[in-house]
Amino acid sequence: MPDSTSRPPQHETLKFHFTPVDPPRPGADLSNPHAKKTTYVPEVVEALRERFGDAVEEVTLYANEHTVRVDKARLVEIARFLREEQGFTYFVDCGGIDRFTDEDRYEVFYNLVNIDAGKRIRLKVRVDEDDMTVPSLTGVWRAANWNERECYDMFGIRFEGHPDLRRMYMPEDFEYHPLRKEFPLLGIPGSLPLPPQTPEGELTRDPFPAAHGAKPPKSYEEPPSEFTEE
Amino acid sequence: MSSIVSPFDFKEQFRFWPRHNEALYRRLESKHAWLEERHRTPEDLAPDPLENEMVLNIGPQHPATHGVLRCAVKLDGETIEKCVLDIGYLHRGIEKLAEAKTYQEFMPYTDRMDYLSPYSNNVAWCLAVEKLAGIEVPERAQWIRMMMCELARISAHLLWLGVGLMDAGAVSVFLWCFEHREDIYNIFDHVTGARLTVSHSRIGGLASDVTDEHLAMIAAFLDKFENSIAGWEKLLNRNRIWIDRNEGIGVLTAEEVVELGMTGPNLRGSGVAYDIRRFEPYLKYEEVDFNIPIRTEGDSLARYFVRMDEMKESARIIRQCLDRIPRVYGPIRNDDAKKAYPSKNEVYYSMEGMIHDFLYTDTGVCPPKGVWCYHAIEAPKGELGFYLESDGTGNPWRVRINAPSFTNLQGLEYMMEGAMMGDMVILIGTIDPVMGEADK
Repeated sequence: MPDSTSRPPQHETLKFHFTPVDPPRPGADLSNPHAKKTTYVPEVVEALRERFGDAVEEVTLYANEHTVRVDKARLVEIARFLREEQGFTYFVDCGGIDRFTDEDRYEVFYNLVNIDAGKRIRLKVRVDEDDMTVPSLTGVWRAANWNERECYDMFGIRFEGHPDLRRMYMPEDFEYHPLRKEFPLLGIPGSLPLPPQTPEGELTRDPFPAAHGAKPPKSYEEPPSEFTEE
Repeated sequence: MSSIVSPFDFKEQFRFWPRHNEALYRRLESKHAWLEERHRTPEDLAPDPLENEMVLNIGPQHPATHGVLRCAVKLDGETIEKCVLDIGYLHRGIEKLAEAKTYQEFMPYTDRMDYLSPYSNNVAWCLAVEKLAGIEVPERAQWIRMMMCELARISAHLLWLGVGLMDAGAVSVFLWCFEHREDIYNIFDHVTGARLTVSHSRIGGLASDVTDEHLAMIAAFLDKFENSIAGWEKLLNRNRIWIDRNEGIGVLTAEEVVELGMTGPNLRGSGVAYDIRRFEPYLKYEEVDFNIPIRTEGDSLARYFVRMDEMKESARIIRQCLDRIPRVYGPIRNDDAKKAYPSKNEVYYSMEGMIHDFLYTDTGVCPPKGVWCYHAIEAPKGELGFYLESDGTGNPWRVRINAPSFTNLQGLEYMMEGAMMGDMVILIGTIDPVMGEADK
């Protein structure tokens, strides 16, 4: 219970200045119970179409969310336009998707936010297996740095112009990209040496030996038993 | 048999390790090519320790790194010239694991991401799936979810406060905070049946309802907590040592935090008004009255004030929930057995209920084919979002986790440059990373 005799607080909390987009933009479909008003941005899509024409390949709307799939070659240009002219200054997230198709196997998506106007948009580009490169957006948003590194680590998509394209989670000379669909869930035995389970033991080569038909290493010494088989 | 250290050559066996380190150190050097130019002549290269740069590895097993964060820093005297973070020591690949699970099966894994506020993670996951499949949640469940999420926020911020102060040298606040966290754990224990990994939220609602005793426990906790936090503020807000350690440390301007993509209190401490609870309200946040604390200084002290005020605002929200929940009657889970688990009574006493329970465990909810969506909530650390893509089966095709700790850590590299070595623990504390979440 706050003490009524105490002095007013020394550190004044500022008011939250935010203008919600209210009412929703015309045409918004709020039938999904969790649909948000911010994600429906037809005016941005129109501006993109007007400016870049054919580079906007596909516009989809699901759960009141706009996704714009664009041409990979003009990605940086479009990103710069969104940032500088449409006010999408806040880079939220980016990641890869393995569609496991013959053509245009991979996708990279970018979630962008315009904080002031309360808008959210998603960009997508498709990447073919023969040309696993995407122009890096680190020159547009600095925040893309680690996300692109993670995407490179997990899918092997190279981001051209990235200042520091190292792996994010896996060690440097791990040869595989784990989030690709062909990578087995149990890992590849021998791909990554793990520390020994006992102080004098060998390195573990397989994280899930039992699943691959081998005896799992014991982290303790089993007590001798008269029932032990030879 | 004198040494327990095995005789084999680790360098040969861990062949990735030298290369991994080499890449890290190369990164450490790259920005400072001018250093080599400065030390061109042999006299310059004389090994005067005060003149030379030193590379220091902090972590991954260092108590101040709040987990397994490794910082390789290059020091010039006591100033950090360059910092490179190496994360991934806790990488479990849960995005990969999610692809092999049904939507409901994956929910307990989210507990293990930000293990300081597991309830928020459960709710974030369930909301994302509900958005993807278009599942409605009963009103009572939404109020309970909101109340428990705010409790989780208090719990997470209490840990930040206690540990942050302990890093700065004040041990007693740590014990006080943990006393209150213990109370919150007890509440979680009574409401959900588990203290840490609660797993209480279900797709389409909740696992169990709250009772009047639970609400009374929460009300009693709030009385105690509001009293305590007033006392802590009296201790800390004008505390010379605490202010000296924090004021002007790790200053980020509003432009910088947006550019670095930071979220949560780190963003609002620099004067950027971005909070998902207002930006795109979820649950019942539109119906409660609360403020979003903002401060403009952008230093560690500002972030301290933001988090303290946030805890008080959370308490306000919980009070309104306590007021409201007894008046919101109704089910706590969606009634459609194709969208949510049937109630246990139904499962135990009817054939259909049992079949539905089996089916839901086996396949679960199947969103439409080829759709995707993103849903974010304001977790204690910032924007926690799940991007889901469906292929029409019961398993997600792709799950992408936008973890706030990951994005915040990226800003830490930038903050560290130019800071003093002694402020490092304060900076890590003020970012408040949880490695379980950052490493996925």
